[in-house]
This record gives sequence, structure tokens and C-alpha cells, in this order.
Amino acid sequence: MTAAAPPILQVRDLHTQFDTLDGVVRAVDGVSFDLAAGETLGIVGESGCGKSVTALSILRLIPPRAGRIASGSIRFEGRELTTLGEAEMKSLRGHRISMIFQEPMTSLNPVLTIGTQIAENVVRHLHVPWRAALERAREMLDLVRISDSARRLGEYPHQLSGGMRQRVMIAMALSCDPQVLIADEPTTALDVTIQAQILDLMLELKEKTGTAIVLITHDLGVVAETTERVVVMYAGRKAEEASVEALFELPLHPYTRGLMRAIPRVDTEADAVGTRTRLQEIPGLVPVLTRPIVGCAFAARCGFATERCHIEAPPFVEALPGHAVACWEVERVRASAP
Amino acid sequence: MTVITDDLVPLRPRFSLLTAIRRNPTIAFGTVLLALLIAIGVFAPYIAGDPFKLSPVSRLRPPSERWWFGTDQFGRDVFSRTMYGARVSLIVGLSVAAISSVLGLALGIACGYFRRIDSLVMRVMDGLMAIPSILLAIALITLTRPGLGIVIVAIVIPEVPRIVRLVRAVVLSIRSQPYIESAIAGGTRNTQLLLRHIVPNTLAPLIVQATYVCASAMLIEAGLSFLGAGVPPEIPSWGNIIAQGRSYFQIAPWTILIPGVFLAAAVLAVNLLGDGLRDRLDPRLARRL
Repeated sequence: MTAAAPPILQVRDLHTQFDTLDGVVRAVDGVSFDLAAGETLGIVGESGCGKSVTALSILRLIPPRAGRIASGSIRFEGRELTTLGEAEMKSLRGHRISMIFQEPMTSLNPVLTIGTQIAENVVRHLHVPWRAALERAREMLDLVRISDSARRLGEYPHQLSGGMRQRVMIAMALSCDPQVLIADEPTTALDVTIQAQILDLMLELKEKTGTAIVLITHDLGVVAETTERVVVMYAGRKAEEASVEALFELPLHPYTRGLMRAIPRVDTEADAVGTRTRLQEIPGLVPVLTRPIVGCAFAARCGFATERCHIEAPPFVEALPGHAVACWEVERVRASAP
Repeated sequence: MTVITDDLVPLRPRFSLLTAIRRNPTIAFGTVLLALLIAIGVFAPYIAGDPFKLSPVSRLRPPSERWWFGTDQFGRDVFSRTMYGARVSLIVGLSVAAISSVLGLALGIACGYFRRIDSLVMRVMDGLMAIPSILLAIALITLTRPGLGIVIVAIVIPEVPRIVRLVRAVVLSIRSQPYIESAIAGGTRNTQLLLRHIVPNTLAPLIVQATYVCASAMLIEAGLSFLGAGVPPEIPSWGNIIAQGRSYFQIAPWTILIPGVFLAAAVLAVNLLGDGLRDRLDPRLARRL
């Protein structure tokens, strides 16, 4: 475990809210986590559970009129980001903390060459001459294994495939040697073989550059392959946090268990004898986030729920060493088969 | 027998005029027509005689070898006057297009990007759009002296809001694109975001809109001149020639028809160019409009 190293990114009791016509949406409702230097942290959860908003909050990219960080603290290299000035924030973004978005097809400006887009980022943050920045861009393209990098610099995004564009995005994000790379569903829009290539590439580059990665995904398979530690989120709250081995060995939150049961498996033997069981879904719906959630957010969908779960929110406690969970009935869950 | 080699030469065909014409006949035709008119305007002193020379003896002569396009009621050579008339139309068309594009781009980007001033500026634009350019021109000329500059101003004012609306709409749609969010996440500053990421994306529709503004400016100028609210009557503009030939239409139709054909050709040339560019620059825009 990396617990010994001091965290470079520390998120404490983060609350991010959005104003909508239906009321205030509590998109992130008290999330805390640490990220150690060089670590890979996965944030998992279904659509709308607050994963992306957590990422945007760290970079302070919540659209100012629509929403805000209501309370909590985000400390990066000892600096408090929630109160940092906009100018300082701009010099952090893309430099110390980078972000990769989900859509490689539309995350590059169609009217600028990829060389220009990477070099621009380098010039902005490292204040080097344009020629040196272009050279850096070429190196980065080599690093993300784009062939014929010198020629590619002069090409436009439409000349590249989806996988290559995501490589370009990674090259751009890593061009200034960031401390933290936030990857928001970086492989969702790509097909499976390209997904694996991109994930391998990210891990390999992490080894080379020592950049810590926050990998946001809804794909538990991706988490299992790439991350060291996992935070499971549900309805804007943290449900469970553990090392990836511990989480897959013995998930302690009923929601995590539900997620795991919903992963389709290739089981040719069972198919052959016709004993393949139906995939299990989690019954019910995600709670409406405009209304304050009383008790455990998952209680209404949970097979273990007791009266207390509906009344009182469970505290986030360490149930096993290094394995924390927010569940009143954790002992019963633990005793049952995963 | 061909030899197949391994090293592929990147496909970069040489520019061929014939292929260009075959691919975009509208652009080619519009460009040629417009180039011809510009040449006429630029070289008018060399190809035409004195457009002001009166010759009462040879009034209202039909087109002939001596007077290609005939003469008007003062014996002036319609050919010379029509050639010089191209200058007025082109100057008005191009300068209105240029000025209103620059103003419209600046205001449109400001509105689309800095949302605080948006509703204020857009209401002013709505107000400007409601002013008919002919009335505005008449008012401005009453206040000052008639002249080319006033005509241009009078046409620019109601055209600017059209450009502002277009640019604003494009900026609003580009702002929400992931690559803008991605650029912000990379720490891009406002000015750079605007100039490098947003402005280049607005240029394609802006160029297309500018051609339409150019065509409509030419028509409005001719209309204003015809009504006597445009360029001073002594200047040979197509609108003026038509206006002065109006009362002699039945006996000397060439004084009206010939400048009319040139006006139509100029507008057609610019519109064809605009249509061609629209299809070429953004195939999706063609379907939206």
C-alpha cells in the first residue's frame, strides 16, 4: 500500500451542487479521498453518481452559473484549490493537473493541427519557444506511439482515428509532466481492443513519468486491470474504498456486490450445458438527487436494508484494514456469500 | 507492365484547374464572372471612353459599332458609363461585406462568449435590424451630403445585426464543444481561447454570409441610387444609369436593360460564389440553412 507516502491530492468532505429548475442537485455529497504520488486510483459508479463532477470540481471546472463547490476542501501539493485565484488555477490546469475527456472524437479542435494543439499547451505552461514546443510535441507523439510523428504534427484531427485521437489527448495531457492526470472515462468511446491499448499505454507512461492517475470509469473490468485503489461512489457519496485486490476479493458494500453481479461473464461450459444463469440487475432506481437523502442512499434498493438504514446515514468506517465501507449491515454482508 | 513498389508515395495530386472546375462548377463560374467584373472596374479607364462626355447630336442612339451599348438622352456612351458603374457596385458590395463582417464578428463573439452583455447587445441589434436601409439612407443623406461613404454606412448598419446573429449562434454552439472544455481544462486563457479556438471555427459560415451581404449590398445600392437616395446622380452607377434612362425606356430600352443585366450578373456571381463556398466549406451547414 502507498499509505506511507504523503498524498499529493487530498479531497475532504467535498460537496458540489447544481441549481436546476427542480431544485438543488447534490451531485457530490461529502466525498473524501487521498491520492498518493504515482498512484492509480479508480473512481467507479454508475452514470450520474458524481464521478465526473468530482473530477471537474478538482480542476474547478464546474460551470459557475450552473453549480458550485458548496463546501469541503481540495488540497493539491499543500495548496487549497477551492479558494485559489482563477489565474493560478489556469496555470495549474494542463500543467500540474491534466485531464483527459471521454470523447476523443470531439475533444480536439477541428481547425487546428494536432501539433499546434499540443505545442500550444507546452508554450503556455513551460514558456518555451514555439520551435522547442513543437519538438516536445513530436517527442510526446513518439511516446504515445504514434508512428511518423513529424508528419502527424501537421495533420488535423479528422485525419486520425478515434484511438489515435485519444493518444493525442494523452500526449497533450502529459506534455507538461503533470503530477496528476484525471482520466474521465478515457476508453468508453473506443472499441475493446483499442481500449486495452490505451489503458496499457496510460499505465506504461505512468511508470515512466511518475504521474498519479485518477481513472474515472463505470467499467469494473477497466478498474481491475489498471488501478491500485478503488473508490466506489453511489448517489454522490462514497460507498466503499479499498485496494483493488481487496475489493474484488470481498466486496463489502451491497451496491458494490450488485455491480459485480451485473458483470457479464464468458462461461462457455455453462453455455454448453444450458445452465447459464441470468445476469442480476440491481432492483429499483437511483435516488432523485434534488431531495435530501435520509439514511443510506442505497437503502431503497438494498437486500440487507433494515429500519435503521432508512433513517440514519451510515458512517464511512474501516471494516477491515485498509478497506472502508459505508454500511450499517456490513457484518451481515460480509458473512453472506459475495 | 507496372512495377509494384513498397514505398507508397503520399497522395498529393497536383492542382489541376480542370478538376477544380469539374468539382465545383458554381465556385468556378462565380469566380470567373466576379473576376471579369472586377477587371472591368479596375481597367475601366482603359477599356471605356469618357463616361461624362455629352454629345447632344447623338442622343438615344441604339447599340451600334460606334456605341456598343447605345447612348442615353444626353448622348453619353452607355458602354463607358456601364463599365465605370461596375466600380461603384463593387466598392459598395465589397466594403459593406468587409466592414459588416469585421463589426459583426467582434460583436457576435462578444455576445456569444461574454454572456453578460449578450441580451443588451442583442436587443440593440434587433432595433437596428428593424430600420429599413432605404429609409436610413434617405435620412442620412438629408442630414449630410450624398456620397459613396454615406451609402456604405446606410447599408452596413442594418446588415451588421445579421452577421452578429450568425456569429453569436456559431460561438454558442462551439462553446459547448468538448474541445473547448478540453482547452479550458488545459489552462487556456480567455483571449487565446477566443482567438485560436473559437474565431477560426466561425470563419467558414462568416465567409459564406459575407458573400450574401455583398450581393444584397449591391442590390440595395442600385435601389438607393435609382430612388435618388444613393450615390450622387453625376456618378455613373448602375442604379443611376437605370434611373436616368427610366423616362426613355420605351424609345431607348438599352439604357435600362444593359446596366440591369450587369447588375444581375454581379449579384449572380457573388451568390454563386457564396453557394459554392457554403457547400465546400461545410457540407453540414448546407443542410442546416
